[in-house]
Amino acid sequence: MLLRSIISRLIAVAITLFGVAVVVFTLIRVAPGNPIAMMLPPGATAADIARLEALYGFDKSLPEQFVIWLKAVAQGDFGTSIIMRQPVAELVLERLPATLELALMALLLAVALGGLGAVVGARFRGRSPELGVDLGVGVGLSVPDFLWGLLLILLFGVLWPVLQISGRVDPRLAVDLSTNFYIIEGLLRGQWRLVQDVLAHMLMPALALSLPLAAMIAQVLKQSLKAELHLDYTQLARVRGLSETRVIVSEALRNAALPTLTLIGVQFTFLIGGTVIVERLFAYEGLGNMAIEAVINRDLPLIQGIVLLFALLFIVINLAVDLTYGLLNPRLRHG
Amino acid sequence: MSAPVLEISNLSVRLPNDLKVLNTVDLRVEPGEVRALVGESGAGKSMLGKAVLGILPAGLRQTGRITVLGQALDQLPASVRRREVARHVSLIPQDPLTALNPVRPIAAQMTDAMVRIHGWPRRKALARAADLLEQVHIRDVARVLKSYPHELSGGMRQRVLIAAAFATEPKLIVADEPTTALDATVQREILRIIRGLQQETGTTVLFVTHDMGVVAQISQRVTVLFGGRVVEHIDTEALFAGAGQGHAYSRALIRATPDWTRSDAPFAPVPPEVIADLMQEQTR
Amino acid sequence: MVDISAPRAVVRAPNLRLWVPLCWLTLVGIAAVFAPWIAPHDPLAQDLMLGRLPPAWIAGSEPGYWLGTDDLGRDVLSRLIYGARIALIVAATAALLAGLVGSGLGLLAGFFGGWWDKCISRLVEIWMAFPPVLFAVLLVAVLGTGLGSVIAAIALIDWTRFVRVVRAETLVQARMDYIDSAVIGGASKLSVLRHEVLPNVLPAIIALLSLEMGIAVIVEAILSFVNLSLSSDAPTWGGMIAEGRASIYFAWWVLTFPLLTLFLTVLSFSQLGEGLKRHFDPVQT
Ligand SMILES: Nc1ncnc2c1ncn2[C@@H]1O[C@H](COP(=O)(O)OP(=O)(O)OP(=O)(O)O)[C@@H](O)[C@H]1O
Ligand SMILES: [Mg+2]
Repeated sequence: MLLRSIISRLIAVAITLFGVAVVVFTLIRVAPGNPIAMMLPPGATAADIARLEALYGFDKSLPEQFVIWLKAVAQGDFGTSIIMRQPVAELVLERLPATLELALMALLLAVALGGLGAVVGARFRGRSPELGVDLGVGVGLSVPDFLWGLLLILLFGVLWPVLQISGRVDPRLAVDLSTNFYIIEGLLRGQWRLVQDVLAHMLMPALALSLPLAAMIAQVLKQSLKAELHLDYTQLARVRGLSETRVIVSEALRNAALPTLTLIGVQFTFLIGGTVIVERLFAYEGLGNMAIEAVINRDLPLIQGIVLLFALLFIVINLAVDLTYGLLNPRLRHG
Repeated sequence: MSAPVLEISNLSVRLPNDLKVLNTVDLRVEPGEVRALVGESGAGKSMLGKAVLGILPAGLRQTGRITVLGQALDQLPASVRRREVARHVSLIPQDPLTALNPVRPIAAQMTDAMVRIHGWPRRKALARAADLLEQVHIRDVARVLKSYPHELSGGMRQRVLIAAAFATEPKLIVADEPTTALDATVQREILRIIRGLQQETGTTVLFVTHDMGVVAQISQRVTVLFGGRVVEHIDTEALFAGAGQGHAYSRALIRATPDWTRSDAPFAPVPPEVIADLMQEQTR
Repeated sequence: MVDISAPRAVVRAPNLRLWVPLCWLTLVGIAAVFAPWIAPHDPLAQDLMLGRLPPAWIAGSEPGYWLGTDDLGRDVLSRLIYGARIALIVAATAALLAGLVGSGLGLLAGFFGGWWDKCISRLVEIWMAFPPVLFAVLLVAVLGTGLGSVIAAIALIDWTRFVRVVRAETLVQARMDYIDSAVIGGASKLSVLRHEVLPNVLPAIIALLSLEMGIAVIVEAILSFVNLSLSSDAPTWGGMIAEGRASIYFAWWVLTFPLLTLFLTVLSFSQLGEGLKRHFDPVQT
């Protein structure tokens, strides 16, 4: 039963991946203009053109070209960046940790802020704190991360300059790590100064990314908390001497969490998508910033690699989320 | 006579629109007594129980006095009141399906309150929980303690809830229609269990029900509510003796309860003129 | 525990939710339409002698430059007013295009089901695998910059939003009894779709259009911000924000005013959308 649904999910994922490949290939190859010219920086030599033509098989038909391209991509060969003259896969993997750390930090903030909002709103339901939470949720939901980032820059970069507004780490700081997971490895190695500096740089972009999701979490979690608070077991907990706050936190919260978990799983991919512009905004050296740099420089192999990686990330996360719920759900179901 | 376990005087509970859900209620329950609280749906029975337990819905205003074991609850600060209620009063809820936390095993839910209220070590609390589960006629106690609510039937859950209510050695138990959600055979069993534990421990019980059959089985005295007001307090035996004692409304309530064990039992809804008389009486 | 005190403060909220955003958007609309008459200066006119003038209420300002000037001495207010033109043109056209394509496909998928539904849903799933901003940037990189490609890019990304909502709505409608009675009455499937289903789905589409315009305004601003929208001196809100971001330590107003304008506009579109949704379907929420 479970196995069957997993297999059918995997088939769906394979189809989606193939579709993604077709879309990317089409966009880059069938777009107006000479693809070779688009793939070359100004001042390319005839040798460059010949090399590219041979590499991508431009003399062959489109379907054949697609097969050649797909084979290369499947083997992890995304081509060579035109501007940086390095394999795209290498460049992309080098930047991926920065983006992952940012996204995870944002997720953490979103859960913390959203959870807090939900608990406060449910604790003071029907009173002004709940109205305050609802108002915050309304604004949080309708203002996207890009605008939050700009507002934060104004607030904490200029008006009250306590946080760093650009970069990932102070360039004067010597970074002596073997991976690009600065925070994770820094923590493991006890390099507190580095971690502190990276956090000071990361806090604002992470906050900007987290606010819309935090609003969503607050809304959904508060609603399910309030539904739980109608049930007799919370009533019984009150009679047994728990304060209203403890009834919410230690009795109702775990029961209310499931719909919120579903939501977080789905929305996390959108959060990752948001890193593209937020990284640009804060000059944070991650994948997204690199992607926009690549577009500005018309570095098509690099763009293509990044887009494929993001799509893969999305699909894998969605799959993981689906499978996790399949496992979680029957155990947590209300009798 | 010894001091009452529960004494309520002049209690009113108002909705935000100023309608009174409870209206100048007086009630006195002696130690060891099982007091039935009856009335039709909406009479305010559950509200009275909630007022005693201090869990009235937000927005309702309460006036009057509720005294438990000589302590006037409404005079206490909220946190002290909560502690005092937890120490001396328990609740057996109506709906066993939603009265247990779905994500916590039974053992944790039963022992938490004992540990918090009496400061007993977890081991002692667990032993007492197991002991009580046996007393409510649960056979594989060890399995039930480990299981989650959804693994138990409705009747089993209600037994667990009864055991949990007695676990903290309360002086007063509020039972709000604890058998309504169960089917008839289980109902009788549950009633017997409550009655047995009550007699053994001498706990005072305020038993909310709309079923006069249950009243006859379990209580020594009855308080009849109508429209948020007390109609009368009367000894159960006197009311059921059939000698014309008790208020006409109370007797009508008895006739309105079908008795499925006798085919010739008289069964009639409460006649409108009885209600009209009662309402006139109450507005005087 | 039932709360009876809850509904107090919410009573008049839905109306405010419609009217406040509508007022602001009307203001923006007027600015856009009558820009040449309203704007005090030429939005493109540079005057390096007048660079980085602060807003009128701050010492060192020049009369007539209400919101100050940017690095190149261009009037911030005039650029904002002309920026409203670009923002609204992009928002309206892109939202309409996305709405047309997406609603059409959503109706087909929801009403005919079967292969239509399978193919369209799969296509949506593939589309959703791309991060929207990256997708937009990529599309503009392929299509080239300019108003037309920006509009096309936004429509090409966001049609999926309409498909999902309209498909779900249509599925609900298609199960209703009146559809059956229309079919029994001899109506063709297409005419049922047009005369019975579409009118019932339309409110949802209208509410979504408003939400989508807010999103389009943001995406256009993002594209301008990374300099992929129009030529770099065209007065776009996103472009102004990019310039403001660069000179943030010298002239805060260059960032602040376009940011506020964008903020209010986006908030208005989305609140209007939410308000419309509730207005049409008060039961659901
Ligand atoms: N949260 C609430 N807000 C407003 N009114 C309420 C609320 N809860 C109950 N009421 C009203 O208070 C009155 C008394 O309700 P209560 O629950 O005490 O009745 P009951 O006697 O227990 O009836 P039942 O047999 O149906 O349980 C009813 O008229 C009910 O409509
Ligand atoms: Mg009741």
